[in-house]
Amino acid sequence: MNAPTPALVARPERLKLVGQRRQLLGIMHQRLMVGMLIFGAVILAIVLRLTWLGLFGDHAGRQSIASTSLPSRGDIVDRDGQPLARTIDSWTVALQPSKVIGDKKALAVELSRLMPEKDPAGWLAEINSSKKFIYLRRRAAPRLVQALNALGEPGIALSREPDRLYPQTDLAAHVLGSTNIDGHGASGMERAMDKQLTEAATRGEPLVLSINARVQQALEHELLSAKTQFNALGAAGVLLDIHTGEVLAMTSLPQLNPNVAGNMDAEARFNRATLGVFELGSTFKPFTVAMALDTGAVKSMGQIYPCYDRFLRPNGRAVTDTHPFGRPCSVAEIMMESSNIGTAQIAGQVGTEHQRKFLEGMGFLGKVEVELPERARSLTIPKASWDLSTTMTVGFGHAIAVTPLHLALGYATLYNGGIYRPATLLKVDRGHPVAKGRRVFSEDTSYKMRSLLRLVVTKGTGKKADAIGYRVGGKTGTAEKIIGGRYSKTVNITSFAGVFPMDEPRYAMVVMLDEPKGTADTYGFRTAGWNAAPTFGKVVSRIAPMLGVRPDMKRDANMSEVLPFVREEK
Amino acid sequence: MRGFREVGWVAAVAGTALGCYMVSLKVASERAALEQVENRIVLAQRDIRVLQTEIGTRGRLEQLESWNVKVLALSAPQAQQFLEGEFQLATLAAPTKKIDPSAPIVLASAPAPAPQGPALTDDDGGEAKAGPTARDLMQVASYKRETPQAPEKTVDKAPNPKPQPVKLVTPPAKPVAVIKADAAPKAPAAKVTDAKVAAKSDAKIKTTTSATPSPPKDAKARQ
Repeated sequence: MNAPTPALVARPERLKLVGQRRQLLGIMHQRLMVGMLIFGAVILAIVLRLTWLGLFGDHAGRQSIASTSLPSRGDIVDRDGQPLARTIDSWTVALQPSKVIGDKKALAVELSRLMPEKDPAGWLAEINSSKKFIYLRRRAAPRLVQALNALGEPGIALSREPDRLYPQTDLAAHVLGSTNIDGHGASGMERAMDKQLTEAATRGEPLVLSINARVQQALEHELLSAKTQFNALGAAGVLLDIHTGEVLAMTSLPQLNPNVAGNMDAEARFNRATLGVFELGSTFKPFTVAMALDTGAVKSMGQIYPCYDRFLRPNGRAVTDTHPFGRPCSVAEIMMESSNIGTAQIAGQVGTEHQRKFLEGMGFLGKVEVELPERARSLTIPKASWDLSTTMTVGFGHAIAVTPLHLALGYATLYNGGIYRPATLLKVDRGHPVAKGRRVFSEDTSYKMRSLLRLVVTKGTGKKADAIGYRVGGKTGTAEKIIGGRYSKTVNITSFAGVFPMDEPRYAMVVMLDEPKGTADTYGFRTAGWNAAPTFGKVVSRIAPMLGVRPDMKRDANMSEVLPFVREEK
Repeated sequence: MRGFREVGWVAAVAGTALGCYMVSLKVASERAALEQVENRIVLAQRDIRVLQTEIGTRGRLEQLESWNVKVLALSAPQAQQFLEGEFQLATLAAPTKKIDPSAPIVLASAPAPAPQGPALTDDDGGEAKAGPTARDLMQVASYKRETPQAPEKTVDKAPNPKPQPVKLVTPPAKPVAVIKADAAPKAPAAKVTDAKVAAKSDAKIKTTTSATPSPPKDAKARQ
């Protein structure tokens, strides 16, 4: 290039120009390539993304809400699978005042027509308020929802939210309990089993209770009619399977509707069966006799005690009977006629130490054992001041206040062969075995007590409880209610605790009436033999066939053990 | 042609890619449809649940009980209304024993009626050789209780072709034998059937009298 050739001659500025163009072209090519690469990369990214979405992506109309049938809270069913509590979606209607676009006055008039709890002026005030969200109706009826939807007002919001419903309304309301506004258990089994009912792993399966809905209904119906008939303040009933401790029915009156639990008064929400403690009186006497049999203080049902007009306790206070024998009488007679004098003497023979040991064994000195959160502790004399006089008083069921469930558990212990087991409200099956028990009475004592309790019903104070054919054995109890710290002479708590069928005990039941009044049918009497006992008999004759107990006139407890020791009155 | 090779490749790759995309699109749409069906199943299950709950609420035990008590006036069965089984049920349907006032009173120690009594006639007015009348049945029933082996004896004697007038003085405990003796001299051939019928009716009467009929308990059920 140093010596320019004559043939190829170009002006140097032109050559310079060519070099520049080439350089420019190179840059342009480079830039174009970069631009194309970027463009390609973007397209590739879009294609890859599309492929990814096509293969694994969601589509636009996907409804993830309905993808599961798991209820938001588990169902509760009875032992046969009948639903007692369910969660369903209910309509909720709300008003969002800021979103109202139509004529507010017309809307207020329409709202007042559909929901007459407020007049148009009231609704107009709500619509004009500065609140963001006002519930119009929770658990709204479909017809109302339809009518509100037809108004076409965007300020009215319709939504569905899970709602706890108790299809059987009053049935076993105190057992089931209720839920609060957040959907968590507030009382009863709803509260006790809240974890199981709400956890995703367990809520798919319903919670099976030990309650038998049909038996529960029969018990509730009969107790309610007794409460009405005797004009009682309240009533309670407990039915136990004595071998497993399962509560087959438990009720407390006045009735409670768990669907509107918050609106019920405190009296209705109070569970008398597990939370109410009562001095249940003579229903305690069989325990005293059983203790005496077990410790050997009483060797035969024919053992004789002096039962004259009165008996003085060591503290100088007298024990009296409503129908004193006025003669020496046997253990069988003491039980049959429910003699306080006789039982106090037997309790005295048992002694304080033994008595407390037995009471402890039957769970009478602590909280009643069941899953419910509403449980009461028994009320009695503190151990330090528990002397022989107290022992005698407790022997015939005073100076100790327990819940009806306590008492039912005591009877179950006494008649299932002598083994105490805590009560359970969950069905006993493979997943929930029978609770471990502890021996309180000997099997022999348990057997001997059968004929004694049967005698009370065939010949004694509990005649009206005898459901024919079902071999009922039981004991009446009438206790004076404490009003203002003093025993009232006119107000009673009557109860009947019993077991059936007595030839092979399977079920223990306690029926209690709070302040029953005398009626013409009872000749003005208010004692348990006239109200609690017939109620017990009626309930048994209804529920025993449902529980598989056949009426049988040819079977009975071995009455030859007690009948020889009962003097036939002329 | 060589220049088109690249075009061909591009077309093939594009076609394959498009095909793959179509497949994936098809899969996605199938999946969406399946999901929709699943959703509908879940929604249907919810509806079923709601309806079941509604039926359960409307037919709750308390409601049924109030209908039973107030409207239909039903009550739980009494202990006496439970039966042991088919046999006890059959005894309730057993016919009750009717007392025929026209029948003569027959004492346990009464002598056998004289054989020369008037000829017996049945309801149709025919001869009484075919079977015993109600009066005979009454006697048989009252006697048979003490001597249950009597019908066997009569059957034993039935094939005996010879008339035995000595039998006329049979003890009163076997009245069927008396009837047979009465009819025997006239037609020995008819005697066999006569005795058989007698034996049969004996058996019938025995079953009706041995079963202790109890009145039906419907009256109590309505209480």
